[in-house]
Amino acid sequence: MRLPRIIHTEGVWKIYGQGSPHEVNAAKDISIDIIKGEITALGGPSGSGKTTILSILGLLAKPTEGSVYLEGNELSSLSEVYRTKVRRERIGFIFQAQYLIPQLTSAENVALPMLCTDMSRADAENLAREKLYSLGMEKRSDFRVAELSGGEQQRVSIARALMNSPDILIADEPSSFIDEALTKDLLATLRGMSEEEGLTVIVASHDPMVLNWSDRIYQIRDGSLVE
Amino acid sequence: MSYALGNVLKYRTRSTAIVSALILSTFLLGSAEFIREGVMTDLAASADEGPDLVVQRILGGRQATVPLEWKDNLSAVDGVRLATPRVWGYIDVGGGGLLTIMGVNASEYGSIMGTTGTEIVEEGRFLNATDRYRMVVGQGILDVMRASLAGVSVGVGSTLSLIATNGSLIEFEIIGVFVSSTKIYSYDMIVTDLSSARQVLGLETLSFTDYALWAEYGENLNSIAFRIDSQIVESRVLTRDAIADAMLVAYGNRGGVMALLWAILLITVILLAFTVSASGSDEARREVGILKALGYDTVDVLEIRMFESLTLGTLGASLGVSFAIVFDYILGAPILSEYLLGWSILLLNGGIPLVISGSTIFTLYVVSIVPILVATVVPAWRNAITEPDVVLRGV
Repeated sequence: MRLPRIIHTEGVWKIYGQGSPHEVNAAKDISIDIIKGEITALGGPSGSGKTTILSILGLLAKPTEGSVYLEGNELSSLSEVYRTKVRRERIGFIFQAQYLIPQLTSAENVALPMLCTDMSRADAENLAREKLYSLGMEKRSDFRVAELSGGEQQRVSIARALMNSPDILIADEPSSFIDEALTKDLLATLRGMSEEEGLTVIVASHDPMVLNWSDRIYQIRDGSLVE
Repeated sequence: MSYALGNVLKYRTRSTAIVSALILSTFLLGSAEFIREGVMTDLAASADEGPDLVVQRILGGRQATVPLEWKDNLSAVDGVRLATPRVWGYIDVGGGGLLTIMGVNASEYGSIMGTTGTEIVEEGRFLNATDRYRMVVGQGILDVMRASLAGVSVGVGSTLSLIATNGSLIEFEIIGVFVSSTKIYSYDMIVTDLSSARQVLGLETLSFTDYALWAEYGENLNSIAFRIDSQIVESRVLTRDAIADAMLVAYGNRGGVMALLWAILLITVILLAFTVSASGSDEARREVGILKALGYDTVDVLEIRMFESLTLGTLGASLGVSFAIVFDYILGAPILSEYLLGWSILLLNGGIPLVISGSTIFTLYVVSIVPILVATVVPAWRNAITEPDVVLRGV
């Protein structure tokens, strides 16, 4: 049986600084399938190109060459406006460096994705508090993220990624700043969402626990897919 | 919008630095500009209230007294409606204060509608041909007396003693107070008869400082000036425009220095805004990258930055303009007015000429807000049109 692909790439290359002396070939001829509702992992050592491939899959970066398809529609050549719309409505991100805004509180950070939609600020903040509550962070809602521990910041980041109820969640090294117990919690949460809500999860990690937990693994070395 | 407003409050140090810089620049620009516009308006009014032409006598390159005989010659020049002699100069009232005294032929001078000193308020009257040691005074004289150590309140009917150049005291009766649109030229002026003015200023009998001329309606002043210059060898003729220009030049040089200072200040503010707003910093780049990754499009990002800048710019400009109004109108623009008005300030005991116009306020807001907008929005736009991945990772 052919499994339903939500995203697939064909011959994707990503070259940073093309033509310059510092040219970097971060992704080389990547063709992968992301199956709807599955947890897909990109494994490989640091610097292997996992984050670059995640950025391309999450429409944060355009491939230098090749195509990215979302439910059969080619997206990489589309305008930034359309790609932004897709990101806003369908994709959630958990960044390795979290990329929270330190001056804002946890709830304000989590509410951010909804402030560029029709949702009012009050509704967005209420929803943000619900998401934080579901991750056990309700007591930290009004703390500035700079005042939180690494693990707490990671959970704020996860809550923010889930704010727009995405059908694709992209997580870059989600276990970087949390201990083993929290990692297990996080993976269980994502697994639950995958199974119950059909959430498609794409993770980049070099953590064996994360890789073993996923449904499908693509190993990346030096920007290339390893069989 | 709420996110942008939140940013203004969250980034307190950044916001305070930008607003402070704007307050300073707008305050300096505004307080100087209100004076400049006031001076310009005042000078224009002075020209309107003054004669069409002033004829002086130049001997050996220096101004000399004008003899009575010139009256017939000047009156005979084509296009001249009235040539009337004046005697004028400054008298020291102590404490660094100077008053202007002008002696006129009351019947001739008083026949010109609207000229300086002739519009008498309330119960007073203008001079007549037989008045001696009587004066009509500008409102500034009353203000000077009231502000003096003795705090004397004078008005119509009061007696005022002036110290003549020979040291003697001459008593004058105030018979009228005149209104004037100008503060620089006539605010502190005393208008009296020719003989009394001559006595105060120590001039010889039948000598005059200059002649004030009014032209026939529709006559070209430059043509009349040319004719006078041709016919009367020792004459120097100043037209209304030339007098106004001379006044403007005296102010304009100082105004030019101020304009240069403004330009420097403005550049400083732009650089400060650019630096302090940190629009080009890694932090600001990352914030734009985060917003883009979370689904904000370029327009959303620019709206946020524009709204932040507009809020800061409007706040800074409004406070700066408010402080400038308080500084000029309530505090009398200490130091700045002395620099801008120079010697004229000695004459202005009752306030400096100030005008606030819509165009000036508009200009102040534009020069405050536009540079901040440019300094913050342009870098944000550059980041916003770059791939979020590149912005976030700095690759």
